[in-house]
Amino acid sequence: MQSDRFLKAILAAALGVASIAIGAPETVPAKETPAFREFNERVRRYLKLPKSAPALRNTKEGEEIVQRRHALAQKIQEERSHAKPGDIFSHKVAEEFRRVIQGAFDGPKGPNVRKTIRQGEPVAGWRPIVNAEYPDKLPLTTVPPTLLLLLPMLPPEVSYRIIGHDFVLEDTEARVILDLIPGIIP
Amino acid sequence: MRILRYLTLFALVLQGQDVTLPLKANSVRFAAIGDMGTGQAAQYQVAQRMLLFHQKFPFNFVITLGDNIYGGGSPTELERKFEIPYKPLLDVGVQFYAALGNHDDTNQRFYKFFNMNGQQYYTFKKENVRFFALDSNYMDPKQLIWLEKELANAGSEWKICFFHHPLYSSAAAHGSSTELRTILEPMLLKYGVQVVFAGHDHVYERIKPQHGIYHFVEGASGELRVGNLRKTVLTEVGYDQDRSFLSVEISGDELYFQAVSRTGVTVDSGTIRRPVHEEQ
Repeated sequence: MQSDRFLKAILAAALGVASIAIGAPETVPAKETPAFREFNERVRRYLKLPKSAPALRNTKEGEEIVQRRHALAQKIQEERSHAKPGDIFSHKVAEEFRRVIQGAFDGPKGPNVRKTIRQGEPVAGWRPIVNAEYPDKLPLTTVPPTLLLLLPMLPPEVSYRIIGHDFVLEDTEARVILDLIPGIIP
Repeated sequence: MRILRYLTLFALVLQGQDVTLPLKANSVRFAAIGDMGTGQAAQYQVAQRMLLFHQKFPFNFVITLGDNIYGGGSPTELERKFEIPYKPLLDVGVQFYAALGNHDDTNQRFYKFFNMNGQQYYTFKKENVRFFALDSNYMDPKQLIWLEKELANAGSEWKICFFHHPLYSSAAAHGSSTELRTILEPMLLKYGVQVVFAGHDHVYERIKPQHGIYHFVEGASGELRVGNLRKTVLTEVGYDQDRSFLSVEISGDELYFQAVSRTGVTVDSGTIRRPVHEEQ
């Protein structure tokens, strides 16, 4: 995505954050490789899915928030009833993610990345399934910011998640697992 | 035994609370709570203590440092873990400004009581103080760019950031979030942020100033890990024997703080004079 490149260039160059704070070659913002381009395109395709649930608005009614979330989740699950692992993280895309994530863990900042996951209360005992809802009772493992700097930037509708050793793409509001790369997190 | 414990607590609740804060005219007054959303008795008792404290120190708003609603997947959870315990404060017009923790559903940003207006990270201003609520659970490049822009344009005398994961902490359970610190701290220094509030570790700790920035950890307003604080070289003052909340008053170039336990004991208090960073 052009905007991704632009924002990351701002982050790395204008703000000096990436260079000052991180600096290591492993954390240079990811190039827009063909695999990441393909990933971005697949995400864009997902966003075009018709979702008829009413837009969430500010409310004092907790029930409205919960009902809307479940309605949206149901709609996504219906629209993607045949969804399976690899629909978004195709083989080529998954390999690129694996290369970048592995590089972050193996690089000089690897111990800090591992520490972030450890401190972020890693989820154990639940394996994500494509099209399933993320369980309410489970915490969200903190996604290491170093990783987020290296991976394609996402629109707000979707988020990366780490669940145990699996790397997951989730619908942010509906909290539906859209796709996953199993066993990619060391 | 249990009855006796509750009676003791009740007696303590009836006691007055000494306020060390100066209550200056036109000051900015707020409280900070973290890791509170358990729905258990201890959370309610801290909320009750806050109400009593409010009678002597009428703070206008509360910042929450994440883990606002543990396991908050059902509508009743929001009531039981937020609306009911803090109803007396809400009724007297106290506003809450939330930051999200790793136990929070990101859809809480639409919960009107949290004043997030649908945003996972946001900023607001009170008099000469600009607050920045961040989502430390998902510090992506977009958020960093947003923060940079907002800090650069803030213009306020005081700049305060609050979020869930502490950049510095001496608690054994989690400790300092070093990766987050590596990314955030240069920006906070560059733009002259003076104070950071965080939670996540279920203790109270005031950190010795780090590069001129004052860090508070208040993650014991509902949850608690007794004896979890190791009191390292980072620790200025720490408390891990009971739940607590933090109250703050800012007037001109001075920030006054008082940390109060569930039973009304002042566990820390002091004054911070607004440091001027060279980078400013």
